[in-house]
Amino acid sequence: MKQLLFILLSFNFLASNLFGVDATLKIEKDVEQRTRIALVDASATQTSKIFDILLSDLKISGHFLADATHHTGDFASNYVLPALKSKEYILKYVFSQASGTKLVVRLLKASDGTQVFKKSYAIPGKSKMPFLAHKAISDINNVLKYPDISWLNRYVVYAVYTAPRRSEIRLADYTFNYQKTIIKGGLNLFPKWADVKQRAIYYTSYRETLPTLYKLNIYNGSKQKIISSEGMLVCSDVSKDGSKLLLTMAPSAQADIYELNLASKSKTRVTKFKGIDVNGRYIDDESRIVFVSNRLGYANVFKKSIRSAATSQVVYHGRNNNACDASKDKIVYASRESNNAFGDNTFNLYVTASNGSDTRPITTTGSNQFPRFSADGSVVLFLKQRGGSTSIGYTNLTSYQSLLFPFNGSKVQSIDW
Amino acid sequence: MTHKLAITTAVLALLLSGCGQVAPDLDGKNNVSNSSQIAGETVSIDENNMYGNESGLGGGHNSSSDGFRSVYFAFGDYGIASSMEANMNTNIKVATSTSARIKIEGNCDEFGTDEYNYALGLKRAKAVKDSLIAQGVGSSQTIIVSFGESNPACSGTSESCYDQNRRVDIRLVK
Repeated sequence: MKQLLFILLSFNFLASNLFGVDATLKIEKDVEQRTRIALVDASATQTSKIFDILLSDLKISGHFLADATHHTGDFASNYVLPALKSKEYILKYVFSQASGTKLVVRLLKASDGTQVFKKSYAIPGKSKMPFLAHKAISDINNVLKYPDISWLNRYVVYAVYTAPRRSEIRLADYTFNYQKTIIKGGLNLFPKWADVKQRAIYYTSYRETLPTLYKLNIYNGSKQKIISSEGMLVCSDVSKDGSKLLLTMAPSAQADIYELNLASKSKTRVTKFKGIDVNGRYIDDESRIVFVSNRLGYANVFKKSIRSAATSQVVYHGRNNNACDASKDKIVYASRESNNAFGDNTFNLYVTASNGSDTRPITTTGSNQFPRFSADGSVVLFLKQRGGSTSIGYTNLTSYQSLLFPFNGSKVQSIDW
Repeated sequence: MTHKLAITTAVLALLLSGCGQVAPDLDGKNNVSNSSQIAGETVSIDENNMYGNESGLGGGHNSSSDGFRSVYFAFGDYGIASSMEANMNTNIKVATSTSARIKIEGNCDEFGTDEYNYALGLKRAKAVKDSLIAQGVGSSQTIIVSFGESNPACSGTSESCYDQNRRVDIRLVK
């Protein structure tokens, strides 16, 4: 009896300490700790497209070390190929586009084939197939209780030039396997998501005499005129609650950043420099902005309180830092690093804290522009041009994982995520 | 001995029973219907018939019209260079001999963000406007606009092509 009591007490001691340590551990995965997973295609007709998208999702999530081999196998049984027993999980899937699009997934523990998760996804059409893959992977991520990666499911909105003074506004999934034009004809530029749920966009129309900002519901097409301005007009940021906009306007041919209160229609002029001030983005608690200005004789990134005049420089390197984005207290910016416009190392991206500390590069070659944070600030989207080809790139700031997807066709004018 | 082993095994089984739990699923919710990106159909708007024909999209080294001469700028600059003096003299002569409204269009090469380039194009257009006003052209006679990168005179990626795109075009409003 005393021996049993001793055993019980020992287990109790060990268990409470183990769970105590687990409770304080952050479940952020570094390279060595990423979950090893393999995909097993059980579809009647195997296609590489869905496999590639599922693989990309697993990689860019930062939480998985995914086997790049396109394994095949059965779906219904819990059998795991001996070669895959070294993984932690197997993701079996059946994909079909015989009628609409259907994706069924089963997540099994590789060690013994125990099912952890099963789900079926179906839509009537075919074009939105990538979103089924993204939903499946983000659901699996949630089931395993890893940090949220729901940014996988979001639309990218972007404008492209199709001809001189002609553009289109389009939607895409993050891989750009899905693309759809929502406004064509005319000159409509600078689309910006109006809300976190991605139900509406702001964009600038050049159809009228003056550049005009509109808000468009992308589902029912209802359009609302917000404001017009001579010279130029861009909505560069939207406050988290959607009540205020940062605008670049030029009422006297002088481009400055303004904050517009949508309810009261009152405008606050935020910058007053006689040169160029553009690209305002809210930072920290949204009482301050970062923006791009040429007040030092070249484009650089600055920080300023909305209600006071004091402005401070954020970036102290590079020849031309003409684009920036912000997420809470993080800033990402594009910096020109060579004299030669045609060199291999033209613009690179850096991430820094809003106080200018902890600066590190996230690209090293090519012309990298249009940096955009994901909604949660964990991933950066960018456009890379190198050797005559263009790619959409993503860098996971926690896992340092990067992916590139080919981007063919028209010249991107602006992009928002 | 057997009795103790049985108790120990039972206790161990009890303690270890939590390790084999199946992770919770999403309670059978139909996530497709909760995901607006997948379920909802977005609009398709065509504005092709809403824009008139715009003049002045000629190429070469003068994309202005009505007797005006385009003014060219160095990378990132919006000051009028001394090499553009002859072109500006022509522009002043044409502008001061007409009562028609004059449209001054700022343009940029494709480097950098379009938002910065729209502002840069505007500064270039304003520099030309200020120069015309200084020579007697009425401010209200002029309209100023920036096209940023949207209106290239040359579509290539060579330095000479970029040179042609960093410009201000001038034409009469018809």
